[in-house]
Amino acid sequence: MIRQAILLLVISTVLGLGLNLVSPNKVDFVGKFRDLSSGDNPIVPPTAEPNDPPFIGINEAQMEFATGKTLFLDARNAEDFDCGTIPGAINIPFESLPEGDLGKFFDSALAVPKDHPIITFCSGEDCDLSLHMGRNLKLLGYTNVAIFFGGAREWEKFGLEMQRRKQCGN
Amino acid sequence: MRKLIDNDYLTLLSRLLVGGMFIYAAFYKIVDPAAFAKSIWFYHLVPGKFINLMALVLPWLEVTCGIAVIIGFWHRGAKLWANIMLIVFIAALGSTIVRGISIDCGCFRAAKSATHSAWNSLWFDVVALVFALQLLISRSTRWMLSAR
Repeated sequence: MIRQAILLLVISTVLGLGLNLVSPNKVDFVGKFRDLSSGDNPIVPPTAEPNDPPFIGINEAQMEFATGKTLFLDARNAEDFDCGTIPGAINIPFESLPEGDLGKFFDSALAVPKDHPIITFCSGEDCDLSLHMGRNLKLLGYTNVAIFFGGAREWEKFGLEMQRRKQCGN
Repeated sequence: MRKLIDNDYLTLLSRLLVGGMFIYAAFYKIVDPAAFAKSIWFYHLVPGKFINLMALVLPWLEVTCGIAVIIGFWHRGAKLWANIMLIVFIAALGSTIVRGISIDCGCFRAAKSATHSAWNSLWFDVVALVFALQLLISRSTRWMLSAR
């Protein structure tokens, strides 16, 4: 059993690595993925695509926050939002967006002009809701969208004020 | 119970289901390894350097084991891998639920759009594991290329 299992692994490794050399979709053998950490540079997830809205880091997010004009949009569910978010942020859970005309929905939910500055965020590096929300807003014609991928966790990590609607664990 | 587990028809059904599922699941990962690598990254369980290697080898392990289980050649090793992989998938998916991570699971397609419910994939894998466990302990070798 073990011998067969090892042989299967060897064959799979040879096939996987060998075919990658000639594949049109080949990738580097050693990935250049960012390990979990946060710094001053904007965190850009590997799922980012060229047409995505720009990604901003904590410094820029904080500057935008300081203007008081930018709309911060928390894409997590209501429970996470209540446990702690960027002050003044509004909550539209990406996972429970309504069916049907999203354009109309966002027009009334956001209640801002299409060129109003909007920053989407969620928990942080382990969450891609901010990315999906940002993409959707851009597709719907919002022209001034940015994604703060560091999210609520990075905001809190840098000692910035959090708005908590209820007390949660840890 | 033993008789049911060793049943030739049940074992054949399990081979087709488990083998077919692994081959199907591997297809999109092989076509787009970069997207699958990104799916792995979101789990935050594998060090960055090893993600691409895993994205290249894992789908082929699914394919070779899927074929081996269906045709019944090197089926013991393949059944062992099938169970190991399913247990690892369940643990990884479970960890995303426990840690509250919202991600595309990357299970059956290297997803790019809407967030996939980890719960659905988890239940699917648990059901698959039941069949895979039956395969592992079944003594039936009927309709196999090689009984060894």
